This record gives sequence, C-alpha cells and structure tokens, in this order.
Amino acid sequence: MGKEILPVRFAVLDKVLNLARANSLWPMTFGLACCAIEMMATAMSRFDLDRFGAAVYRATPRQADLMIVTGTVTKKIAPVFTTLYDQMPSPKWVIAMGNCAISGGPFAFEGQYSIIEGVDLLVPVDVYVPGCPPRPEALLEGFLKLEEKITKTRRFPGPEKRW
Amino acid sequence: MVEEVKSGISQLLRERRPVEEPYGEKGYHLSVDMAPKDLIDVGRFFKEKGFYLACALCVDFRDYLELVYFFAHHEGHCRVKVTSRLDPQAPYAPSLSSVFGSALWYEREIHEFFGVRFEGHPNMAYLFLHGGIDFYPLRKEKVMVSEEDRALLNSFRPEEGEDTFFINLGPQHPSTHGVLRVVLKMDGEYIERAEPVMGYLHRMHEKMAENRTYLQFLPNTGRMDYLGAMAFNLGYVTAVERLCGIKAPPRAQYVRVIATELNRISSHLLWLGAYLADLGAMTPFLYVFDDREQILDILEGITGSRLTYCYFRFGGLFNDVDEDFITGVRRFIARMRGRFQIYDDLVTKNVIFINRTRNVGVITRETARQYGVSGPVLRGAGIAMDMRKKEPYAAYGEFDFSIPTGSYGDAHDIYLVRFKEMEESLNIIEQALNGLPEGPIMAEKVPKKLKPPKGDLYHVVETPRGELGIYIVSDESDIPYRMKWRVPSFANLMVFPELVRGCLLADAIAILGSLDLVIPEIDR
Amino acid sequence: MIEDIVGKIGQEALRLIIGLVGVVAFVVVNALLLTWMERKVAGHMQRRIGPKEVGPFGLLQPIADALKLLGKEILTPKKVEKPLYYLAPTLIFIPALTSFVVIPFDAYLQVQDINVGILVILALSSLTVLSILVAGWGSENKYSLIGAIRSVAQNVAYEIPLLLSLLPVVMLTNSLSLKDIVEAQGKIWFVVLQPVAFFIYFIAAVAETNRTPFDLPEAESELVAGYHTEYSGMRFALFFLAEYTNIFIVSAIATTFFLGGYRGPLLPGILWFFIKSYLLVFVIMWFRWTYPRVRFDQLLNFSWKMLIPLTFVNLIITGGLLKL
Repeated sequence: MGKEILPVRFAVLDKVLNLARANSLWPMTFGLACCAIEMMATAMSRFDLDRFGAAVYRATPRQADLMIVTGTVTKKIAPVFTTLYDQMPSPKWVIAMGNCAISGGPFAFEGQYSIIEGVDLLVPVDVYVPGCPPRPEALLEGFLKLEEKITKTRRFPGPEKRW
Repeated sequence: MVEEVKSGISQLLRERRPVEEPYGEKGYHLSVDMAPKDLIDVGRFFKEKGFYLACALCVDFRDYLELVYFFAHHEGHCRVKVTSRLDPQAPYAPSLSSVFGSALWYEREIHEFFGVRFEGHPNMAYLFLHGGIDFYPLRKEKVMVSEEDRALLNSFRPEEGEDTFFINLGPQHPSTHGVLRVVLKMDGEYIERAEPVMGYLHRMHEKMAENRTYLQFLPNTGRMDYLGAMAFNLGYVTAVERLCGIKAPPRAQYVRVIATELNRISSHLLWLGAYLADLGAMTPFLYVFDDREQILDILEGITGSRLTYCYFRFGGLFNDVDEDFITGVRRFIARMRGRFQIYDDLVTKNVIFINRTRNVGVITRETARQYGVSGPVLRGAGIAMDMRKKEPYAAYGEFDFSIPTGSYGDAHDIYLVRFKEMEESLNIIEQALNGLPEGPIMAEKVPKKLKPPKGDLYHVVETPRGELGIYIVSDESDIPYRMKWRVPSFANLMVFPELVRGCLLADAIAILGSLDLVIPEIDR
Repeated sequence: MIEDIVGKIGQEALRLIIGLVGVVAFVVVNALLLTWMERKVAGHMQRRIGPKEVGPFGLLQPIADALKLLGKEILTPKKVEKPLYYLAPTLIFIPALTSFVVIPFDAYLQVQDINVGILVILALSSLTVLSILVAGWGSENKYSLIGAIRSVAQNVAYEIPLLLSLLPVVMLTNSLSLKDIVEAQGKIWFVVLQPVAFFIYFIAAVAETNRTPFDLPEAESELVAGYHTEYSGMRFALFFLAEYTNIFIVSAIATTFFLGGYRGPLLPGILWFFIKSYLLVFVIMWFRWTYPRVRFDQLLNFSWKMLIPLTFVNLIITGGLLKL
C-alpha cells in the first residue's frame, strides 16, 4: 500500500476507513460481453445497486476502485485489461462475474486459440460470481460478500444462515 | 428475375453455366462455379443488376479451398451462390473490393482464417485475430503462417500527419457498445478518417461449430447476440430443421414467433435506452430496463433464463407455455402500449434529441447496396426489406404486419423505424396469441443424433439488427463440416467509416449508436 | 483576556475571520449535502430509491465517499506536468470559496458587503475556466485536453450572456452591491420585471457550471471523463466539490438578483434564502436527469447567435423603459 508514513497503524482508523470503503465502492465500466447486460440490470431500478452506494460508475480507472470483469477476456484485450487494472489506485478489488471470467466458461475447449481461461490468470480476484449469466441477485450477493471481505461484518444475513 | 440472371451469367461466362437449385432446400436459387479470374466480371454483372454482396466465405475441403459468395437483391427475390476453387498450396484470388465495398472486410477475414491471398486488396492486416497466432485457425490441418504473410498481417499502423492526431474510441467504453475500438484521425473536433478495430471478443464460434454436435452448439447461438438471442436460436433451429427436413408442429411455430417478437421488443428497448445514454440522457435508460424486466419475467417463466436463451429444440420447443404466460403477455401488451406515450413525450419530441439526430449519418440507397446493410438501418434509408415478409419462416407468413420505413436515412429516421417496429411486434404477438393452436409442441420422429444429409444450406432470418445468414455445410456426420454466420452488425459497421468522414466527434457517437451494434456477433 | 485579543486584532478583522470560517464550513457541508441530494433526486426520478443502506436515508453516504477518497493511494501519473497537475484542483476551489464572501445570507449575515459585489464574483468565476484548462493541459492526455478546450470555448461563450443578463437588474437598482439589490426587491421581485433576463441567466449559469445539457467537457460516453480523467483520490474530490459549490453559487446569485434574496414573510430570512436557492439547485439537477447533451457547435451557435442578441434587445428595452 505504498510507503508507510508512521511505523504504527491505528486499528480504529483502519476499521472506519474499511467501513467507508465498503460502503462506497465505485465500479469501473468494463463490460465485455453478455454479463455486462446483467450488471447493468443490477444497477437499474429493480435491483438498485445504488442502495449500497455503489452505482457511481466512473469511466476512468483512476477514479474507480472496483473492477467487475463481465465477460470473456480474450488474448487480444488482455494487455488493455492489465493496463486498466494497473491504472486503478489502490485499494482496489476485482469481482469476476460469469463463468467466462472465472474459467473461460463455455468457450474453453480443446484447440481454443483465443481466450484466456479465467481472469485470475491476469489479476488477483476477490470474489467469483458464477453463472452464465449470473442473475442480478447473484451479483448483489457478490457485492455483499465483497463488503464482508473488506469489513469482516455482514450487512444482511446470508442465504446459508436462514435455515 | 431468376431467369434473367441465369441467362445473363450464361452469356458472360460461356463455358460455365449456372445451375438452378431448389430454393426450399438450399436457400438460394442459382449456383455458379467458376475460375477465380472471372470473379470480378461476375461481380460487376451483379452490381449492374442492383444486387448486393450478402456474404463471402471460404470452406476448406482438404483437397481444395472453396470460396463462396452470396449475392442477393433488396427488392427482387433471387439469391445466387458463386463458388470458386482454389489450390490449398497457393490460394490466390482477385479481390472484389473494387466492386463491392463489403468485400473489403470479408476478404480480410478469409485471409486471416484460411490464408487466401486476395490480389488488389488495399489492406490485409489482422481483423479479428491477435498478433500471437502463427497458424490459420479454420483450416482443417494446421498450416503455419509464412513470413511475408505475417508481415502483411501485422501491418496496421496509424500514421501521423501535421495538424492531425489520433484518438482511440474504446475498447473500454462507458456505454453498452462493448469492446469495439475505433481509431479516429482527428483534425480539431472534426474526424478525417475512422478505422474500426475488432476482434477483442473473438470467441471462436465457428471453430467450435466444427467440434460440437448440432445440439451441443445450440447454447453458443444465444451468446453470439445476447440481446436478440431468441432470433439467433430461431435461425439456427429452423436452418437445421430445413436441412434435415423436419417440420415443427403449428403450436410450436406460434410460440416461437411470440417468444422471438418479445425478444425483439426487449432488444429495441435496450437499444433505445443505450442510445439515449450515449447522447447524455440517463433517465430513459432506467425506464427502459423497467419495461425489459417485465419481458424478462415472462420469458423466464417458460425458458428459465433471462438473457441467453436456449429455448428451441430441433422439431419444436422443450417446454410448453401455460396460462401464466398467456395472461402475462396480454397484460404486458396492454401496459406497453401505454408506455409508448411516455417515450414519445420524453424523447421523440425533445428538441435537443432532434437536433442531435437529424441529418446525422445519412445513408443513401447506393451506400446501402454497396455495403450490404440490413435491418432498421436499411429500412431507415427507404428500402423496405424485412426477411420476415420476404422469406417467411416459422409462421410469420400467417400474420398481418407492416414494415415501417424512413425517408432520409439519418439517425432520427432509424430511431423512428425501430420505435414503430416495436409497435408492429406488439401487433404480431397479439395476433399470434389470439390464434394459438392446440396440439403437440414437438415433432415426432426427431432422431437423437441428428445427421443431416450431405449438402449445404443458406438460411436467412430477421434479427433485431438485420439479416442474419447461416450457412451450414454438412457431411452426413453429426458434427457440422463448416458453419458460417453472416451477422448483420458486421455489414452495418462497414458503413461507419464512410458516414463519419467530416463529422464532429459527438456525431460519430450518435451514428455509432444508431447502427445498434452488438460486438460479440461481429467478433463471433 | 479575550478582550485583549479582540482589541489587538480589531473587531472588523475578527468578524471577517469568523465569517470566513463559517463560509468554509458551509461550503463543505453544502457539498456533502448536494452529493447526497443529487443521488436521491436521480434515484427518485428513475423510479428507484437512491442510497439507503448507509445510515438513515443514506445520509451518511457522502461521508463514506469522502472518507474513501481520503484513503486512496495518492497517485501521480509519470508523464504529467507536475506544477500544472498539482495546481489545478486548488485553483478550481478558490473562486468557489471566495465568491461566498459577498453573498448575503440574511440582512446582517454577509461576510463583507463590497460595493462592487457582483463584479468580484464574475471576475473570480473566470478563474474556474483557467483551472479547467490547467487541469486538461497538465494531464498530458488527449482526452483531457479535448475536454478542457471544449470547456474553455463553452465558458467563454456563456460568460457574456451571464453578465449581460445581470445588467438590467443593476440598471434597475443603480448599484453593484448585492445587499442593495436584495433591498431593492422590497415591493416586487425582479423575476417579474425581468423574466427574460432570469431565463437567460439561468441557462447561462447551467452552461457555466458544465451541467447537462451542457456537460460536454465531461461527456462520459465520448471522452471517458473529460478534463479530470487523470485525477484520483482527494484531487478528484476537490473537482467534484468545486462543481457542486459552483451550482450553489449560481443558484444563490439567481436568488439574490431575481427572487428577492432573503426577503420573505414569517420565516427568518436565512431560511427563505436557503429554500429559494435549493429550489433552483433542484431544478438544475432536474435538468441533468431529463435532457440529452447538446452538440458542441449547436451549443456555441445557441450562445452567440441567440442568447447574446436576446440580451442586447432586453437591455435596450429596459433602458428605454427606464428613461420613460
């Protein structure tokens, strides 16, 4: 995280900053394929991502802190993709949405010459949201999981805790 | 028209004569085989007659490479297949790009996938593939790229001039265009030249088709155009049914029409929202998604998916519709008719919108014919060609609907055409619902392993973007030998560099939006 | 002891210092409030609820945004021109802050009633243009440069109608001081006497603050993010804050000049001032979520060929009527 100014870290400050970061994740618009439509649907009136403070989509990587990889990453766009990731200032997170971003999806077959089987071969991924395409509710759950990863507390009870 | 063309070609080619083909089984009326040197003469003949180049592709038959061209006519009903055999060791052919502008990109594609060299082509750089590939992907055996070819393929370098500079539009877009990169040579705010760069989402659909059975390939069709997935599904399923001679029962045909028209409405709605978001108005984008969610709920009830459907099967459907579906659709039709008024007030009569789209990106009939444009873009230019009326498939012949056309061919006309198409789709759905027959939804005696007879087929359907052509070559096994998808967005994008010359950057965005491109279907 | 300090500094100076501190506090609170208001207004217009989870009604959302931006990595791209790059965010905030010095919040709540009040504001607002140009140039990025150039052309074109539409009010009150202008609206508000000037001023104000339908300099779908593409973290936050503060300032000036400032029955003056100003801010936000963007040449045509002649006609008519 860069050079430390003081040789100590304050736990309370960390907690407050993490809470602020989790409640104000600004995604970067990086829609590649079909999953991008479901990501847009998540930000729309029915599933409203703005409730969690997260629907301020910034077009420039310099002002975003979350990259949602929606769609297949091909070898042609891989350099562009890593450049964008590098341009984002830390702290930054990556959500791999859809089967193509997780492991190549339905396009991984023997003799394939053009896709990268899984975006975690290029950048570190924090949350994987499977589906082809995943439902908007699944992406919301991915967001909540990411918030849980940042703040170590969970906003709504998870699906497994209901029963 | 067929007779006229047949006699014309016979006169032109003296030694080779065109053969009449059964249109119902093959999808084209005439086929002509000729030597490569006669290609340009035949191309000029078709251009004089007012034909357009629908598709150009190549099939690798191991002993020889076969170049296949399809010429079709906007107003008349005649499709001609022109083939030419090339030696696989030295595949050289003359380029048709001087006659038809659409041949430019088709030939680049054939070059990088098969290694065919076109003489006289101005620019043979990579179109879809990236620089690390050292073999020709769609050949049946692995053929390495030669050194001089590699230099040709890597030759895309934008140059600098004085007082001009280059801007990249994309590949990362703050809108729904997808991963398309357009290199613009700018002079201040005016564009001198635009060069689209594609291939950022090349997912090898055609190669996968040669490795999957017909049924295994069905999910791929939905991923090609995710907004009009039903139309792509329908095209594929009806193409294979036509190839095998299977007839789906009437109830299945009607439900297919209803599902496809619902999908068409949802695709046009998304286009509307995205276009306005490009122009700066954020709110219609959200209203549009609201309406779309209604459609998605209805379709999810019968298909199980929201976006990339896989509903049709060879011979019918896999799931029948129930009462919920019918009441849902009726409710949706009533609601949607009321919503059109909102969009009319908010968008169509907005002065800023009219100023942004009037006289922007005017497409003339000649340009449309030169590049093979189709869909609402073509209808906005004044040519009333809709494949649902021209070559009816899947019960479209039984419904009564009109084809909206524009008069100027600018972005505003294209918008109005799409708007009216949504209303026509509602009419079709209503007629289909009222006349929905009872009966089975699946044809009987559909073999589990589908082995179509030997031959080829060119099947055409109308997707929300335009004319989709599916060319299947079958060799009696259960895996297609070659499958080529002639996608509408590819031809529509070809017009773009010509339209934006001399325009402002804001106009370029308006034009690009009005073409309604979906990049995965271009990149396949 | 306090009397000693007060005696040393002088009562005027003390009043000035308290006023300035109050202004800075107000600017920060206002910017936070406006970011929340924008997202809520946008949400409700788009048939959804905006931020809701972060605190009651999402009121803690701007604080979360601010803390997050503070905690970001301070990233300076390698190729930028460092002096210009560092200067721009501070430069854009100065006119916003200093313009508040002359705005009358209430009859006796004005930091300093300068007798050429409106001239101070107009002169300082041209600094905004300069800072945008500095930001675009210093970023060494083609898109920032295009955004900055567009912004300069737009701001220069719309400064003139802005100024000329405020002139009739000055003619009616014979004074450039903001306090006098508010006092002169005792009987009738100037929006009734000068409706054309009000509309022209409002349109020019929306163009000056780079808001839709005139937000070409930050046109998202065309230019990535315009002139602040290369700014991240707190520097970007300053641009953001400056934009919202500018919105409030133009609304405050419109209130002062045309809507009677802090005058009003029953409620204390400052409340009236805020109600009127925030109403205009709401209308500006309403514009953003309704209209598409105007194209660049249409924008400039609109200003040079339509607005400026209209202001001249208005001036001549006002002058003629005053003479009679």
